[in-house]
Amino acid sequence: MDKIDSKNTQDFFFSLWSNFYEDSFGKLVTMPTLGPKREESEKLMKGFSTFVNFYTALMKSNANFQSVFMKAMGNMSDKTISEMDKDPSPDKYRAFYKIWIETYSGTFNEFLKSELFSSENGKLMSAFMDFQKHSKDIFEENYLKPMNLPTKTDIDEINKELYILRKTVKELTKQIKELSEKNNSTAVTPLE
Amino acid sequence: MNKLESIEFFEKFSHGMTLFSQLSDFSVGTTPAEVVYTEDTMKLIHYIPTVKKPFAVPILVVYALVNRYYILDLQPDKSVMKKLLDEGFDVYVLDWGYPTGIGKYLTIDDHVNGYINNAVDKIREISAVDKITILGVCQGGTFSVMYAALHPEKVKNLITLVAPINFDTNKGLLHVWAKNLDVDRIVDYFGVVPGDVLNIGFMLADPFRTMIDKYVDLFERIEIKPGDEESQRKNEEMIRNFLRMEKWIFDSPDQPGETLRQFVKDCYQNNLLIKNAMVLNGQKINLKNITMPLLNVMAEFDHLVPNEASKPLNDAVSSSDKETLVFKTGHIGIFVGSKSQKEVCPKIAEWLRPRSIPDEAKKDKTVSDEAKKVKTIPDEVTKDKPTPAKPREQRRTTTQGRAQ
Repeated sequence: MDKIDSKNTQDFFFSLWSNFYEDSFGKLVTMPTLGPKREESEKLMKGFSTFVNFYTALMKSNANFQSVFMKAMGNMSDKTISEMDKDPSPDKYRAFYKIWIETYSGTFNEFLKSELFSSENGKLMSAFMDFQKHSKDIFEENYLKPMNLPTKTDIDEINKELYILRKTVKELTKQIKELSEKNNSTAVTPLE
Repeated sequence: MNKLESIEFFEKFSHGMTLFSQLSDFSVGTTPAEVVYTEDTMKLIHYIPTVKKPFAVPILVVYALVNRYYILDLQPDKSVMKKLLDEGFDVYVLDWGYPTGIGKYLTIDDHVNGYINNAVDKIREISAVDKITILGVCQGGTFSVMYAALHPEKVKNLITLVAPINFDTNKGLLHVWAKNLDVDRIVDYFGVVPGDVLNIGFMLADPFRTMIDKYVDLFERIEIKPGDEESQRKNEEMIRNFLRMEKWIFDSPDQPGETLRQFVKDCYQNNLLIKNAMVLNGQKINLKNITMPLLNVMAEFDHLVPNEASKPLNDAVSSSDKETLVFKTGHIGIFVGSKSQKEVCPKIAEWLRPRSIPDEAKKDKTVSDEAKKVKTIPDEVTKDKPTPAKPREQRRTTTQGRAQ
C-alpha cells in the first residue's frame, strides 16, 4: 500500500490508516500458515486483504462524494440567499427545486468528469473485482466443490469448449459450401 | 409551496398514478417485420416495405451492443425505421439479442467478420445485389466502419450515426472514465458483464437528472382538465412514450467479455482504430480501404460520443464522396427527438437515394457530379420511381408487429 507522500488531508488519512493496518493487523493476515488446511487458510487470509483494500477504496470514494455534497450545499446556499428573501416564501418552492436540481447536477457533473473521480473509480472497481473474485474462489473451493455442485469455473470451461466447437463447425460448414459451389461450377458434363 | 400549488402537484401525481394503473400496452418496435436469418442469439430482421418497389440497394442497420436496437423504432410516430421505409428503402436491422454464457468468449472479430458478415451475405442473397448500404449507430457504427474497411467489396454506402472512431478526447465522460478502467479484472470476474454495470455508468453521466428530475418532470407535464378527452389522450400518450423510453434505458443486454475487453483496451485506451493499428483475428484494419460513399452524422450536444470522436473518420478514409452532417440535438435525441423525423431521416434519405442504384444498373448511365452532392436529387431518380429491383424470392409478410 502507498506510503504517506500526499499533502491532501484525505489522502493523508487513508495512507496513514493503510500503513497502520499493514504494520499491525496486516502482518497477522500475511503470516505463513501451518497445518493440513494451510492452503485454504492462506487463501482466506489473502481474501481478507482484498476486502481491506476494497473497503479502503470504498471509504475513499464515499469521502469524495461527501466532499462534493458539501460543495453542492455551499453552492446551493449561495444561490438561494440571492434568490429568496430573508423570509422564504412558500410560493418559491418551484424556483427552489429548480435551483436545487441545477446546482447539485452541475456540481456533481463537474466532479464526475474530473480526473480524480476517474482515477478513484478505477481503483474502486479494481479493488471490488479482486474482492469478488477471491470470494467466488473461496466459495467454490470450500462450499460448492465439497458438496459436489457445479462451479462457475466448470461452466466456463464447458462454455469455452462449446464456443470453440461452434466456431469450428461454422468454419467447416462455410468451407464445405464454398467447395460445393466450386465443384458445381467446374463440374464436367459426362460424355454420352 | 402555497396551497394552490400543493393541491395542483398532488392532483397531477394522483392523476398520473391513475393513468399508470390503467395503461395496458406500451409496446416498442411495432413496425411490421419478420426474422429472415438467425445465428446463435443474433437475428436479422427485415422490415416489411411500405412502398411497392423499394430502392434496389437495401440498408442494414447495425446498432450497438450496449443497448437494444428498438430505440430506432420506439414509438410509431417517431420511428427511424418507419421513416426510412416510407422514404422508399428496404431496411434490415441486426438484433444482437442477449448473450448467454458462451458470450464470454465472443470477440469483436466474431461480431464483425462473423455475425455482420453473415447478415450482409444473407441480405445480398435475398436482395440479389452485390453490395448493400450499412448504417451503423453508435458502437454499431464503429463495428460498421471496421466491417467496411475489411469487406469494402460488399458495402455500397457507409452511413455512421453518432459513431465513435477516435477515442483520444476528454470531451465525453465515457472517454475520461475508460482511461482508468482495469477492464481485464472486470471481464475476468464477470465473464459476461451484466448490463446493470453499464447502466450505472450511464446514469452517473447526470445522476440528479436521470434519477430524480426525469420523474418529477413527468408528473409536472400532466394536464388536469376534467372532462377533456383530448387532454386525457395526450396524457396517456405522454406516459406511454415515457414508459417506452424507460423500458429501453434499463433493457441493457449483458456484454460479451472478450468483446468488451478489446473494445475498451484497443479503442478507448489505446485508440488503435483511427491509427490503422487495430487487429481482428490477425488482420489489420486499414481505414484507407474505405472508398465507398460515406455519410458521417453527428449530434452537436452529444455527451456520450462527442463530435471530436466522430469527425476524424472523414479524413481517415479514402472515399472521395463523403460528407458530414451535424444536427443540433443530443445522442438519444437524434433517434427519437422531433428533429429525427423532421431533419435527420429526410437528410439521410436525400443523401442515400441517388446512391441506392446498384452498380450494374449504372453501367450505361453516367452519374453526374451534381448527383454525387448531398443536397440535390437527380431528375432521373425520385422518391416515387425507384429503379426496379431484380426479381426476389417470395417472402412471407405479416401485418402484425413483431412479438416482444
